[in-house]
Amino acid sequence: MAAVEDQIARLLSGAPYWMPPEDKSLALLEVLREQLGRACQSNAGLRNYMLHWPIELRSARKVADLPYLPVGLLKARPPLSLVDAKQIKRILTSSSTTGQTPSRVVLDSVTARRMTKGVVAIVQDFIGSARRPYLVVDVEDSVRAGGELGARGAAIRSLQPFAGELAYALGYGSRGELRLERDKVLDFAKRKRVGPVLIYGFTYIIWNCLVKPLAAAGICLDMPEARILHSGGWKRLQEEAVEKGEFNRSVARVFGCSPDCVIDFYGMIEQVGVIYPDCKEGNKHAPRFAEVIVRDPLTLEPVCEGEFGILQVCSVLPGSFPGHLLLTEDMAQVVMYDGCPCGRRGIGFRFAGRVPKAEMRGCGNLDNRRWHVPAA
Amino acid sequence: MVDATHVIDAPEQIAALAGRIRQSVTASRLGAPVILEVLENWSTALGGPDTSHIPGVAFLRMWLRRATLEPIVTRELGQGALRAEWTGEGLARLKPFPLGVVGHWPAGNIEIQPLLSMTCALLGGNGCLVRVPRALVSTTRRLLRNMVQSDSGQVLRDRVAALAFDHARRDLQEAMAGAVDGAMIWGGHEAVLNVRSLPFPPWARLAVFGPRLSVAAMDADAWGRAEERPAWCRRLARDVWQFDQQACSSPQVLFLERQKGHGCAGFLQDLQEAFRAENHVHPRESIQAAMTSSICRARASWLWESSENRAFFPSSPDWTILLGAGGSIPRPTQGRTLTVLEVDDLFEPISRFDGSVQTLGLGIKDTGKEDKLAEAAAAKGVDRIVKLGRMHTFSAPWDGVDLIRPMVRMVRQVRSSL
Repeated sequence: MAAVEDQIARLLSGAPYWMPPEDKSLALLEVLREQLGRACQSNAGLRNYMLHWPIELRSARKVADLPYLPVGLLKARPPLSLVDAKQIKRILTSSSTTGQTPSRVVLDSVTARRMTKGVVAIVQDFIGSARRPYLVVDVEDSVRAGGELGARGAAIRSLQPFAGELAYALGYGSRGELRLERDKVLDFAKRKRVGPVLIYGFTYIIWNCLVKPLAAAGICLDMPEARILHSGGWKRLQEEAVEKGEFNRSVARVFGCSPDCVIDFYGMIEQVGVIYPDCKEGNKHAPRFAEVIVRDPLTLEPVCEGEFGILQVCSVLPGSFPGHLLLTEDMAQVVMYDGCPCGRRGIGFRFAGRVPKAEMRGCGNLDNRRWHVPAA
Repeated sequence: MVDATHVIDAPEQIAALAGRIRQSVTASRLGAPVILEVLENWSTALGGPDTSHIPGVAFLRMWLRRATLEPIVTRELGQGALRAEWTGEGLARLKPFPLGVVGHWPAGNIEIQPLLSMTCALLGGNGCLVRVPRALVSTTRRLLRNMVQSDSGQVLRDRVAALAFDHARRDLQEAMAGAVDGAMIWGGHEAVLNVRSLPFPPWARLAVFGPRLSVAAMDADAWGRAEERPAWCRRLARDVWQFDQQACSSPQVLFLERQKGHGCAGFLQDLQEAFRAENHVHPRESIQAAMTSSICRARASWLWESSENRAFFPSSPDWTILLGAGGSIPRPTQGRTLTVLEVDDLFEPISRFDGSVQTLGLGIKDTGKEDKLAEAAAAKGVDRIVKLGRMHTFSAPWDGVDLIRPMVRMVRQVRSSL
């Protein structure tokens, strides 16, 4: 037990992107195998699943051999847990903007601590470690304390270790809609013009609630050292035909910084503690305590460089829920398995949207049963 | 060469084609004998290198033969239909006449379905507008070219138009619906609802096939005999593989009658072997990522749900067998995922059928018992009860509906002198 904890601590403490891929793969395999074995002991369902996996746990030679769970399983009620109820400190809930039912992830204190360390290690590598003023493009309600925390709140909180002064850019309009508090933002910008500033918000919220109104009013906040992090996906912006390049340029114009300072990251509640920011080359990388596998839908084998497939995320951080190896419902492209010009080692990939909805084309696609039949 | 497949971009194109077909139908009435001859010629012409690899072509060739179609025509339209004559019925006499132009909305998962649907209406003397799903345009074009080439007398050429257009073009769908006197609609829940909501003329007759699902069942005497078991498993695998388990006649679940004192391990071994062999002969060439996700989710949730549940699957999404117990039909996964449920009594799951089940594929040793099961299943909404391995064999009636008769007017005459 202690050995695995030590290994996780070591993986969390080093520079996140500079470990040779072969060394990282071996280290992750060892830890994940141990974690899965332990998770099996505390959950009969998971044990049954692993017993039926085509490759035995002890025979796995690489992380890709290990049994992964489809992320949809985390939508279960009650949420899947590997710890006693009394150890659960918080439940995180996904935004479920595209799905019907949100995922729910239980955190104990150990997992919560690892999650904070994970995000800090990753973000440090992109923006440095100094604390700085933090402007959240959201309402304060998103992070109100309580038993359950939504995806927006979790992302906002995960960046708080970098925050000095904290301000929220949005309030509510008369119909309860999100609305820019313009004077507050202008005042914040005026006071924090000199020096680094951290800005974070969901992509569509930054666009609709901050960039569009300020750009329409011809306002530039003049914050040349601002770093704007955003996440939450592109679906809503794609509906408005806003591409990433246009988004970056527009955001940069409003903040008066370089488009390079606008950083998109991919993250999901189900993989707490690991986020995937874009590097300067536009690729995403996996830190040393996590891995990414892109699987060919036809074979479920990892794809070759340049190919698209279903994204699997792997992480050693979860302890309280079975989120170590998750087959997501997202698509990705492997750009390279190593050698990104940004210098970060290991896989470089790009997010390619949600798995397209299946075409309902067969006469066997039955949505509703015909008659109500009482249970026997 | 005349191409019967038209890429459509404007409603006016559909109106023009429908007008031309209506003119042909009105100008010369074709009796069943003439049509049967053209279809027989088409059957002979099929199977060349340009069409032989199209899934289902071997079946289409068989379907088009006079020997297959004549009994169907006779049963549905009466003895006189084969001679283009009236058939006596008591003091009256009956004769089929075409509705006019029949629209076909086939499902997108069966390559030959546009042609099967079309031949049913042609046999009634109708002309046809066939909306071809995007995925089937190329195969339908090749098969129709073959028909036109074999139709030396140009009997059917002017009575058929296959239309290729985006299914989301509501204006084109409405134009097609507005131009027909009858419609044969095949497909899933959403597709059928969409087509039925189109503005058909008030006189138009609609025949709807699907959405349904299908089920297999075996009694202990059938699966318990080690020497016969592999053959049963091969038949079942064939039924699962065809149309990638997305057809309404595809088995989604197998109810397996428990054998006293024996487990079903041997049966499952044979079934896995049959699945492996079928996959070797008919490997997938592609799969939608969403289907892969569904298969992975089905495997995991099945095993997670109960530690009594078992499953057998390779690392790839090629095939999956989920083993458990109970008499309810689980939500279908499709994609070659068969749920095997052990039951004490096969009548128990049948008693829970709710009208969604189209075909019951059976492997039953005792004929008397099989007949009783068939009676019970029919009373619970099942429309086809067939031997395992023949679940997809297209025959009339289908979905409990005749195939030719719904698109004809059966005219009744009682002579005034009588």
